[in-house]
Amino acid sequence: MASDEDSYSPPLTVIVKFLQSALPFNSLDSRALYRLARLCRIDFFPQGTIVFQQGISTVDYLYLIQQGGVKSYLKDADDEISLNDYRGRGEYFGALPIIQNTRANLNVETVEDTFCFLISKDDFLQLLARHREFSQYFLRTMSAKMVKNVYAEFRQHKISTKTESGLYLFSATIGKIAKGRLFTIPAGTAVREAAVIMSEKRIGSLLVTDNDGKIIGIVTDRDIRSKVVARGLVYQTDVAEIMTAPVQTISSQAVCFDAILQMMKKRVHHLAVEQGGEIVRMITTHDIMVTQGTSPLYLFREIGAQRRVSGLYDLSAKIYQVVRSLIEEGAKANNITRMIAVLNDHILEKMLSLLLEEYGAAPLPFCWLLMGSEGRREQTFKTDQDNAILYADSDDEVKNLRAAEFFRSFGEAVIGHLVKCGYPLCPGDIMASNPKWRQPLAVWKGYFRAWCRTPTPESVLNSTIFFDFKAEFGAVELAAELRSEVLGYSKREDLFLMHMARNCLASRPPLSFFKNFVVEKDGRHKDTFDLKRKGMVFFVDFARLLSLKYGVDETNTMARLQVLGQGGYIPESLGMELVEAYEFLMQVRLVHQLHQMDGGHEPDNYIKPGDLSDLERQTLKEAFAVISRLQEFIKQEFHLAEL
Amino acid sequence: MFTDFFKARKAPHPLIRQNNRYFREFSAESPLGEYDFIVFDTELTGFSKKKDEIIAIGAVRISNLQISGAETFYALVKPENNSHTPSTLVHRLTPQELMQADDLKVVLPHFIEFCGMAFLAGHYVRLDFEFINRAAKKILGGVLQTPYLDTMRLAMAFNEYKHGHYYDHYNVRSSYNLAALSKEFNLPEFVEHNAMDDALQTAYLFLFLVKKMRRYGVRTMADFLKAGRNWKIIL
Repeated sequence: MASDEDSYSPPLTVIVKFLQSALPFNSLDSRALYRLARLCRIDFFPQGTIVFQQGISTVDYLYLIQQGGVKSYLKDADDEISLNDYRGRGEYFGALPIIQNTRANLNVETVEDTFCFLISKDDFLQLLARHREFSQYFLRTMSAKMVKNVYAEFRQHKISTKTESGLYLFSATIGKIAKGRLFTIPAGTAVREAAVIMSEKRIGSLLVTDNDGKIIGIVTDRDIRSKVVARGLVYQTDVAEIMTAPVQTISSQAVCFDAILQMMKKRVHHLAVEQGGEIVRMITTHDIMVTQGTSPLYLFREIGAQRRVSGLYDLSAKIYQVVRSLIEEGAKANNITRMIAVLNDHILEKMLSLLLEEYGAAPLPFCWLLMGSEGRREQTFKTDQDNAILYADSDDEVKNLRAAEFFRSFGEAVIGHLVKCGYPLCPGDIMASNPKWRQPLAVWKGYFRAWCRTPTPESVLNSTIFFDFKAEFGAVELAAELRSEVLGYSKREDLFLMHMARNCLASRPPLSFFKNFVVEKDGRHKDTFDLKRKGMVFFVDFARLLSLKYGVDETNTMARLQVLGQGGYIPESLGMELVEAYEFLMQVRLVHQLHQMDGGHEPDNYIKPGDLSDLERQTLKEAFAVISRLQEFIKQEFHLAEL
Repeated sequence: MFTDFFKARKAPHPLIRQNNRYFREFSAESPLGEYDFIVFDTELTGFSKKKDEIIAIGAVRISNLQISGAETFYALVKPENNSHTPSTLVHRLTPQELMQADDLKVVLPHFIEFCGMAFLAGHYVRLDFEFINRAAKKILGGVLQTPYLDTMRLAMAFNEYKHGHYYDHYNVRSSYNLAALSKEFNLPEFVEHNAMDDALQTAYLFLFLVKKMRRYGVRTMADFLKAGRNWKIIL
């Protein structure tokens, strides 16, 4: 009778109501909350009760304070007491020892008569495993070392209970899933013999060794097909001639996701697994796809298999599905944007190489430049195109004319196909279809110099797009040369840097004096704020500014911040705060856009604070608070007074 | 014994026999936390034992001196006597709601099953207990012999421990109702006042009192039964 779902039960109602207003329980849906309430016990601790004794008490419950308060404190070897924290209504204690599977890490004593809801250890661990947002709250509130233990706990938990696929991509290590045994052949082996061994052993690759038995390369079934068969080489050719060297390796400690990313980046299907400096096994795309149903590798292979540009049109839409499953598996924003970048690159590369087959070789070496968020590897869904063509200088006037004509029709064709793939045109016309942005190296060098030397509002604006350029296809050394020249002088362009610094201080984060969100008052985006322009841009501009000042050769904002922090250019603590805050903003944006696309809307950056959970709102405010610290740092660094 | 047996018109219901057998002999020497309790409350059409009836029962289980969020009992009861007009109903239950409810014949065995071998507790529980037993006798042919703790008496005992022996209960007697005590002890409060909410409110009061009274050396079941018995309640 009492167990009927719909029977009237105030304890459950009371508990659910309470949980709905308590972080991070409010991130759970009402079904989960009722399930949880059913498992809760209610306990009372008179004032002065010692609930936990540091190092002694085993912690069997998570304690959620319904009413009252506790203090937590540490006692050192000399019985010196250091107060740690007070916790009151709506707050909890006991999470850490449960997650770490240790005894109480602190003394906890009630300072008032206190009523608590108790959630058993097992129930709490299950919640963590089942609800991503919920577990992320705890991950965020704990330090990196603790997080490591959390993941270890998750892994143990996963293996024993075998629930949903969960954090598999991010928890399964290569050492665990690599199935491929290692087969080596000497470099002098004939291709025919290698093919026989491969088909006998039913494997797709062989490692090639030199006379000392050292591994020097890899030969795959694809090498045999594409290099021997296609080029009409004789089957007596040594494998050394067709092998790929060096072998791409991955640590056995790396997680599945790293392997996927590396395979996709390097366009390979086999990685050698390294353990203690030795190659112990092989891992293939097949191994991963077998263990991981919704792997991004499927899409990766599908893109690679296209023989016509039009075949790519529908594939970019599938990136959304892949990303969706990644988010469901608990991927962090930085991993997701990297994955989107790699998939977009792959589509672009496929498109460019198919078009080059059609147009014939370019008259001069060139590379395709990605600008703005694409250049920073921070695309989300449907990022506007920002691209350009950079080609080699030549003294040959005829060649230069032919090149200009070739890149005109080639550039226009690519832009047209990209639009059909679903990448919108750049409203500012920063695209390879614009003659201004199809130029030889010397002209590009001139552009950048001019922007730096004569800082105008326009050039500062340009810097936000062009200085994040990145080349992923073609003669990438051209882009590298351009980059090293720019970084060579940018640190000395004080006036230019000053203008950029001013630009970073020109606006404020969308928080009012009372720490409420400042939203649009009317128009189409009423009650929302632009997360990108009012939030993320501060981080991006800050990272670019300091990278130019200190010659940091990275375009990705997180990577820039990490280098700046580790290099001591900014205080390490500020660097970490910035990375965490920025990643959170990216995550919010991704989830927001995913929701929009689920609902059939065009993704945008307009966030409505009212749609966020308490937890998200609070974390968002914390992230915005970091912006003020960032601006404070710029003021000091560039000696800028209050504007 | 024998005379009792022959007097009974029919053998008591197995639930009653089980209850009586269990509570005929039990040890009251263990700490209170080792016993299970059912904290319950009934809603009545009035206080007359002759003509009034139970119209709702709410209860919650306490084990290990913790309230269990899932183990609750709540049932409305259809009164036998339909002459209770809406104005005689002290609670907000509508006659329609009650007419759709089960008879006490159906509800009572469920309730007794829910109680199992737990001890009982309630606020001024003697009244509720008498109504339950009057029905049990009629419906099941016997009465429950479950010992109970009364949170009202415990509250009086607590106040005396707290304030010393000269504490004058009679002057402040009006403040011994459930809502007033909950306020006085600063317990989480439940705004609704049906049998279920009151049972839960009483359960909070119960936890509060028994844990607060430990410091005065009141620990075992026997201690608590004794502490509660010292107070004569005048109605």
